[in-house]
Order: sequence, then structure tokens, then C-alpha cells
Amino acid sequence: MNTRTTEETAPAECPRCGYNKLVQLCTSPVAGVWEVYQCEQCLYCWRTSEPARRTQRDAYPDSFKMTIEDIRNAVELPVIPPLRKS
Amino acid sequence: MAYDDLRSFLDTLDKEGQLVRVTEQVMPEPDIAAAANAAPRLGDAAPALYFDNVAGFDNARIAMNVHGSWANHALALGLPKNTGTRDQVEEFVSRWAKFPVKPVWRDNPLWAENSVGGEDVNIFDILPLIRLNDGDGGFYIDKAGIISKDPDDPENSGKQNVGIYRIEVKGRRKLAIQPGPVHDIGLHLRKAEERGEDLPIAIALGNDPVISIVASTPMDYDQNEYELAGALRGAPAPIAEAPLTGLPVPWGSEIVIEGVIEGRKREVEGPFGEFTGHYSGGRNMPVIRIDRISHRTDPVFEHLYLGMPWTEIDYLIAANTCVPLYEQLKRDFPEVQAVNAMYTHGLAIIVSTKKRYGGFAKAVGMRVLTTPHGLGYAATVIVVDEDVDPFNLPQVMWALSTKMNPSDDLVVVPHLSLMELAPQSNTPGTGAKLIIDATTPVQPDNRGNYGNQVRDLPETGEWITKLQQLAK
Repeated sequence: MNTRTTEETAPAECPRCGYNKLVQLCTSPVAGVWEVYQCEQCLYCWRTSEPARRTQRDAYPDSFKMTIEDIRNAVELPVIPPLRKS
Repeated sequence: MAYDDLRSFLDTLDKEGQLVRVTEQVMPEPDIAAAANAAPRLGDAAPALYFDNVAGFDNARIAMNVHGSWANHALALGLPKNTGTRDQVEEFVSRWAKFPVKPVWRDNPLWAENSVGGEDVNIFDILPLIRLNDGDGGFYIDKAGIISKDPDDPENSGKQNVGIYRIEVKGRRKLAIQPGPVHDIGLHLRKAEERGEDLPIAIALGNDPVISIVASTPMDYDQNEYELAGALRGAPAPIAEAPLTGLPVPWGSEIVIEGVIEGRKREVEGPFGEFTGHYSGGRNMPVIRIDRISHRTDPVFEHLYLGMPWTEIDYLIAANTCVPLYEQLKRDFPEVQAVNAMYTHGLAIIVSTKKRYGGFAKAVGMRVLTTPHGLGYAATVIVVDEDVDPFNLPQVMWALSTKMNPSDDLVVVPHLSLMELAPQSNTPGTGAKLIIDATTPVQPDNRGNYGNQVRDLPETGEWITKLQQLAK
């Protein structure tokens, strides 16, 4: 199965958080088979040849969806320690 | 037989009928992960998988499930492929007794064939990265040994660390990493960040099978993983100096990625389906800048599927979690016979022990909770008699069904330390733990009506050997 992505069918929104600014990380070495996109807000990456449950907002599982609040409230791990006093 | 690189081990797996080459064209997702998810379901002799016909790629070589069965794990240790689980653990124990075996520096590392640095780095040019599970945030690297040094004591080779930590690919030269705060790399990173510095690291991917085993073994902070590799493989482990950072990396890796964990920087990462069988993520975690990639020509991407147990990771961290716990318990309690810590990296543990006197079994259970590994794991500890094989689960179930009286054989200790990924705890980092005493009470503990137990006839052992030979 080959997935051809032209300008008209390039993804416009992140399946995971719905954000509309995406970057293209890479394209298939064999031209025209797939592209890889990344959301600028939640950093989700996907390949255009993946099943719809990973690439389409309306098919992406609700339990994995992320909101801007989730990102803002994300716990820091490991905690950044205080600088040593020199 | 000691393997100096991944490819020679793949050859052995092939010759032993333990490698399946999938030659039909597959989609990068979901096929490769689904196949690797399926492979361990084939049983204790499940094969490794090799893909070199992946849609859209022109040079992909992907190896999955390399450690994903008892047969493959035996071969990784140079044992016959039908070696039983308990025998493999006991062999592991006897080889650990030879630790430390210092590594040997060797010239012309295999990964030095090709190199790219700085702004020319593009990890997508070199690795055919794929997603594993539906909810993963992106493409991961999860079977690489990550090498780092203690910034306060860089010449101390004992404090150098080789560990496997999950890495998310976020850009052509940007990665994320999960350095567990109590793991050695977490300690190195904390010191670097306290000093206001980056932490140089090397990521060695596609290794000989013993390197992956030691990189996922719980060892003391000042113990060197290469010295355990030497003990396990029966010969010093060959290492070489990574060109940019000078860190000691395996001589035979397919790929060596060098760079830094950028100090005092965090960014949203994941989630990722973890070895607990649950996802974790959506947290702000450290970021790696790649400065150089060295690699063999036509590199093999060694990858690992993990999820609903058992998957490859369960086999990889089975024997090597039992052995340190066995050694630590045996030091204090020579009555301990065997330790099965194979379930979820030791979140559940079964210990077989003689009983010095009434109540002793519960003491052994408590000692498990305070061993170095037990401090973060051991959420459930089952203690069984010396004649119950903790690797024989039907025997363990028999012990639970006849020797455990819940009115006083269940000991719950609240609010102990517990690794953050354990999903059952209310507050990540702490949780209650359970000791189940499934041993026969001994004097002066006179509970129950045990009378005389039916024991194996003394001649049974000889007959096992005789029947095995007759059945050949």
C-alpha cells in the first residue's frame, strides 16, 4: 500500500492536540511513499502511512489526546536541582 | 562463545533456527511492531525477527525480538537453546561470581566506518525509525546502551554507567531521554545540572547480546557494567573510545550517537507504552543534542517491542533481575534457596527459603524490601518453602493454596518507596507493599494442621535423569 501526500492532502492539524502548525521532519527515501510530520505544540510525530487511529484527529483515541493545559501542567522529571554555590 | 557484535549473534540465531526473515514488504507501522508483539506468543523458543523490505525505505535492516525467548536468551549466554529457565539463572549466578572482569580497549571499532557531525547530522538518514504502540508520542530508541560518567569523579571507571533508558526522537538531531532519578544516569545528570553544565553522553545501538543484558541489570552505582559483561561472556568485553566525547563504548556497536543532555532544559515527552504494561508520559523531560553519529555501513537497527507481557523486554530483564537479589539476600540469609524476580522487573518476587525457626520466612520477606533493588520494586513478595521451586508457578500456586493463612500470613507495609512507573500507587514514588508467607509454619509457630507432608521419593532425582535419556 502506498500513501501519496500532495499539497492538498498534507495534514493540517495535529491528531493528538488539534494544533494547526506542523513541521515536516522527513520524507521517505523512496520518493512519494510517506512523510513524517511533527506538531509544534505537543511534539507528536506521525507518518502519513500509519493507520487512521494515529493520523486523523477524529479517529485518534480520546484517552491519548492532549490539551494545552496538559502541556502547561506537565510534571518536570527529573526535577532540575538548585545550582551549587561556588 | 563470546559475541563481539550483533551480526555474529544474528548468524548464530539463524543457524539455530531462531531467526525468522520476513522478506515480504511490510509497512513501517503497524507491521513491524505487530510482528514483534506477536513473536513471544509463539512460546519459549520464539524467534528473533529480521526485516529488510520496509515500504518507503531503501536501506532498512531492522532486528526485533533478539532476546525475546528463553531459547534466544540461552544462546546469548552461549548455552544450548533448550536450557531451562532456572538453569539459566543458576548459570548467571555462577558467572557473576567471576565479576569483575576488566574490559579490553580495542582499535578499529566497527562503528568507525562512517561518521557525520554537527549541522550535517540527520538521524532519519541513518535509522529506519518506527512507532511501537498506538499511544506512543513518536518514534523511540529503546534498546541502546547509554554511556555517561560522574561529572564529579570522571576518572572513576566504576562510576561510569551503561544503562538502557528510553529515548524519543524529536528532530534530525534532537532526542528526549527518560533518566530515572534513582538510576545512575539520573545521578550523573543531577550533578551536571548542579554544576550548571551539560552531560556528555554516548548512545550505543545494535550491540552484542551480553551488552544489552548488562545494560539492563540492576547494579550498584560504583559497579562497572563492562566488567559484568566480561564475567558473563567468559572473556573481557572489547570497548573503544567514542571519538567526540571519549566515553568508553562497545567496540562492535552498529551505531554510536554522541552529544549532550542539555543541562537544566526540559520539554514535553511521550507518552510511551512501558514495561509495566501501561503508558507513562506527557511530562517535561530532558533533551539531547546530537553532535556526531558514527556507524557501520548498512547498519542494523536493533529495536525492542514492549507492552502487554510477556514481550521481549520481559525476557531481557528476567534472569538479570533475579541474580543481584539472590546475592543480596544470600549474604544475610544463607537459608535462601532461589529467587524468582522475573515479573515486571521485580515488582513481584517469589523467594524459596529454609526456615531457621518460626517466623523466619517473614523476616526473609522483609529483607527483600530493603535490598537495593527491593527499595524501588518488590511490591509483592511471596515466600515459599525450600522444596518449592519459585520458577515453577504451579508449585507456587500449590503453596499459596495450602500454606497461606490470610488471617496472619499477609503483611502489608504502607508508604514505602516504589518506582514512579508502578501504576498501582496513589502517589508516584511511594506505595504499599505486601509480603505473603506461603511457607509451612515451624516451631515455635504451631499454626495449621500440617502433620507429615508427602515428599518426593529419594530415588526420584535419578529417575528424572534416566527418563530424560530414555526419551531422547
